[in-house]
Amino acid sequence: MIPALAYAVILLAGASVVWGVITAITDRPPGKAQLLFAAGVWLVTLVQSIVAAVQLVRGFEPASMATTVGYLIGIVVLIPIAWFWANVERTRFSGIVLAVAALSVLAMTLRLLTLWVPAA
Amino acid sequence: MVTEPVRRTNSGAGRALVAVYGVFALAATSRATVQLATRYSEAPLAYLLSAVAGVIYILATISLARGTATSRRVAIVAIVIELVGVLTIGTLSVVDPEAFPRATVWSVYGIGYGFVPLVLPVLGLLWLRRTRSA
Repeated sequence: MIPALAYAVILLAGASVVWGVITAITDRPPGKAQLLFAAGVWLVTLVQSIVAAVQLVRGFEPASMATTVGYLIGIVVLIPIAWFWANVERTRFSGIVLAVAALSVLAMTLRLLTLWVPAA
Repeated sequence: MVTEPVRRTNSGAGRALVAVYGVFALAATSRATVQLATRYSEAPLAYLLSAVAGVIYILATISLARGTATSRRVAIVAIVIELVGVLTIGTLSVVDPEAFPRATVWSVYGIGYGFVPLVLPVLGLLWLRRTRSA
């Protein structure tokens, strides 16, 4: 993991949460820019998980390997699933769907930062 | 003939509800898998309950997402079990922490997940009530 990338994910995902809530409150489906932004957040999480996977393969051993791997996979799958689920029926609630996924990615990335310590 | 509900559970606000259920299905199932695979003997009861919670969340997610008349019934059963589960495990984990040495998603009413596990089944049942046919 690259901590700077993790903080970037946390910031971008946070913005995605706020954006989703705003379009829901103003009763609009997510716009094109918002959907592209969500795709961008996903791209950063993908880079992060690939970098982490390479580090794991090269021998980095986190204290809790199984949980760490689970979180690294989780942050990559959530946004695409939410993205499609939000687009099947486009209403104000699509924004909430994107926000839920982004908030989960944010929380999981925060947790990954504490998980990413070498095994004793 | 089975009449379709007036409003499907997977439409409107239901889509947001399914999203939250989906996240919990993923979280609870992954957590249980890791726990059962790596340290089952430490706390078999807590970890098996984690697995049960995961299955209940998966059932609720799929049945709410399908939104048919039949899946509504599955959703009601799953969400009632979920509510009973979070209230029972929540109370037991407060009254008798020794019985639950390792956290599950429902411990202390889901405190580790911002109490969402406590609110979610209530929202789920309210939503099923709102979308039922006349």
